[in-house]
Amino acid sequence: MITLGEIALWLALPISAWGMVLAFAGGRTQRGDLVLSAERSVYASFGLLVVASLGVVAAFVQDRFDYWYVASYSNRELELFFKISGLWAGQRGSLLFWALLLAFFSALAVFQNRNKNREFMPYVTGTLQGIILFFVVVLLFAEVNPFEKLGFTPANGQGLNPQLQNYWMTIHPPTLYLGFTAFSIPFAFGIAALMSGRLDSRWIQLTRKWILVSWFFLTNGIIFGMRWAYEELGWGGYWFWDPVENASLLPWLTATAFLHSIMIQENRGMLKVWNMALLILTFLLTVFATFLTRSGLIESVHSFAENTTIAFIFLMCIVSTGLLGAVLIVWRLPELRSENKIHSFLSREAAFLFNNLILLAAAFAVTWGTLFPLLTEGLMGEKIAVGPPFFNRVNIPIGLILLALMGIGPVIAWRKASRKNLVKNFAMPTAVGLGTLVGLYLAGIHHRLALITFATSAFVMAIIVTEFWKGTKARARIEGEGFMKAFVHLVARNRRRWGGYIVHVGTVVVFTAFAGSAFNREVRQIMEPGETVEIQSALGHTYTLRYVGISSSTSPTRNMSQWTALMMVDKEGEDLGGFTTEKRWYPVVEMLVTEVGIRSFFLEDLYIILDSVEDLQGMAANEASSQRATFKVKVNPLVGWIWYGGLIITLGALISMWPSRGRMPRVPKAAAVSEGTAEPATA
Amino acid sequence: MPNNGRFFVGLIGVGLVVSYLVWTGVSDTMIYYLTPTEMMAKVSEDPSFHQIGLKVSGRVVKGSYTQSEDFEHHFEVMDLDDEAVRFPVVFRDVLPDTFTDEVEVVLEGRYRDDGVFEAATVLTKCGSRYEAAPEEMVG
Repeated sequence: MITLGEIALWLALPISAWGMVLAFAGGRTQRGDLVLSAERSVYASFGLLVVASLGVVAAFVQDRFDYWYVASYSNRELELFFKISGLWAGQRGSLLFWALLLAFFSALAVFQNRNKNREFMPYVTGTLQGIILFFVVVLLFAEVNPFEKLGFTPANGQGLNPQLQNYWMTIHPPTLYLGFTAFSIPFAFGIAALMSGRLDSRWIQLTRKWILVSWFFLTNGIIFGMRWAYEELGWGGYWFWDPVENASLLPWLTATAFLHSIMIQENRGMLKVWNMALLILTFLLTVFATFLTRSGLIESVHSFAENTTIAFIFLMCIVSTGLLGAVLIVWRLPELRSENKIHSFLSREAAFLFNNLILLAAAFAVTWGTLFPLLTEGLMGEKIAVGPPFFNRVNIPIGLILLALMGIGPVIAWRKASRKNLVKNFAMPTAVGLGTLVGLYLAGIHHRLALITFATSAFVMAIIVTEFWKGTKARARIEGEGFMKAFVHLVARNRRRWGGYIVHVGTVVVFTAFAGSAFNREVRQIMEPGETVEIQSALGHTYTLRYVGISSSTSPTRNMSQWTALMMVDKEGEDLGGFTTEKRWYPVVEMLVTEVGIRSFFLEDLYIILDSVEDLQGMAANEASSQRATFKVKVNPLVGWIWYGGLIITLGALISMWPSRGRMPRVPKAAAVSEGTAEPATA
Repeated sequence: MPNNGRFFVGLIGVGLVVSYLVWTGVSDTMIYYLTPTEMMAKVSEDPSFHQIGLKVSGRVVKGSYTQSEDFEHHFEVMDLDDEAVRFPVVFRDVLPDTFTDEVEVVLEGRYRDDGVFEAATVLTKCGSRYEAAPEEMVG
């Protein structure tokens, strides 16, 4: 199976190259047989990459430590589940996994369009095979082949970092990768539109679902990563503006911008060049993020030199694709002219445009901050870094503007908003926002940015709720339906719009949660068993934690020793029971891991970290020993709202994406012309 | 895009605001990111470097970790390329789990006059997770 997998990976090289060349050739020469052959090669690539991936999984399951990749990320004791997920535990497997997911989506896209949209398909197929080819080349020739052998067989592997042995960490990378790879499909259609010359909004209509799918996975991937950091990294936060986190945020920012700006193109025929540029940029950022995630590039240009081949190939690919995209856009410039122009700043177009600029500004600031040490090192010879304070300073104002736009954009009129439109839509929400501001201020919340965030959130929520209310009421009246039924039908009839609003609700909840971090409290205290520590929540009440003691145990099956500290919690006389925080020792990988204790309430989390223990070794040997230890206790308001908000976003995105079967198509089908295959490819 | 003057005004406006945010953000939060050798050179050249925040990357000296009675973490950090350049570090917060002997760390804090680096944050770079010396680290 393993050898078979390796052979399959090699076979994928000529197959994808063949498919790419044939598809483009077929597209230019209008030869259906070539295109058909190319499309079939996509299925073949997918099949081969499945076999290759199974080969890697088989190597993991059979403990084949003579393979470098298996020896580095597994050992005999590892649970089967983590052996299988070893496929994406490291860079080598991740690249294969990326290619596999891409091939899957490609095969799906080709299958969906086997009888339609034929004017796009040659170029779509060619582009997708080109990306697959690129990843196969990287896998085979950039010193990252997962089938590389060590030359000897170690008795056991090095095991998987215990911090990665967590549910969220197992699903976080694949979710992100699904988001990254799904974006290749709209990218391929965009390129196809440029190459074929069919530059109306057809390609956007065709790929809208794909864009949503990609955005959906990206968003969830990022939230899963935050969840993992919060539960596993043990410093009580969920986002650190780490280069790797930033790399996953960048394509999300541009994809979000794209998701909004295509609506302008669909409705007003504007921003065609901009959309193409955003599309290409987002795609390149997904590739960049994949590459960056597990390379040392960001740390220093020096460590960058360690694996030059892969860095070189990736950067060459990104630069050349970017240039190629630019050339294509310039070539089609006359056909990408705007059909309309912006009449007023007080219009939906302007609000959307502003949203785009702001999102891109955020992407720019994040890139700048991330690459800053590299830039200063390269230009001045001295490394100067910016940390979380920089990202927060720049991105908080940007985030607040975005938040406000989330309320304004959907209800402001197209073309030019009249005074009446403005008063009608914004008077009440503004009042709600101001009321929240004053109310919270009087309630004792004086943190400026948090106040602004809460007030803006209230403003946006008021707008969205009003929209739902008005829509439901109108429907209930016109159709004579009950209120609940009318509500469900309202959403079902225009899933894209109302699903989008629900996503906005979730986003508002998440933003509110971010602002909650302004009120984090923490205490670090050395304690003997029996002693108590008090911490006051921002909500005013006090938690009293009594340290009971530490018990130690060894679990041979899981191959670890653990020390569990028990705390009894009391909230103003109310007994909340006990909760624990642990130190775990994994002898095989020789790693000490802290497991934090989290008690989640609706409005805040109580978070405890066992910092260090005076005599861990003595306890392990069951000697009477000191249990003096130091704990960090945190109260993190509103953290739970990130996860709730994430669920609301997921729900909204699912509603938007849900296929509408058997209903009247909202977009009149321009497809009549595109149903045939023999349509000339160039206009 | 003909006659989209307003669009460009908006673009420039946003550009200016963001540039301002980025500029002030950088100048208010940037800190030197040095190797221990560079840090030593800086302070001997200009003692005022003892007063400002620095970011320093290096390697934890094997066996140097101790914990004081009041749970302060003490250890030494040396230059990645020159073992002779080393300095003591004191840290009073939760160490990351990946902190072990000989791990690469990035410290943020102040290099005091007395030659002790007072770290406000300690980050570890992954990758050295198989070379730990547990007995000395634990506890």
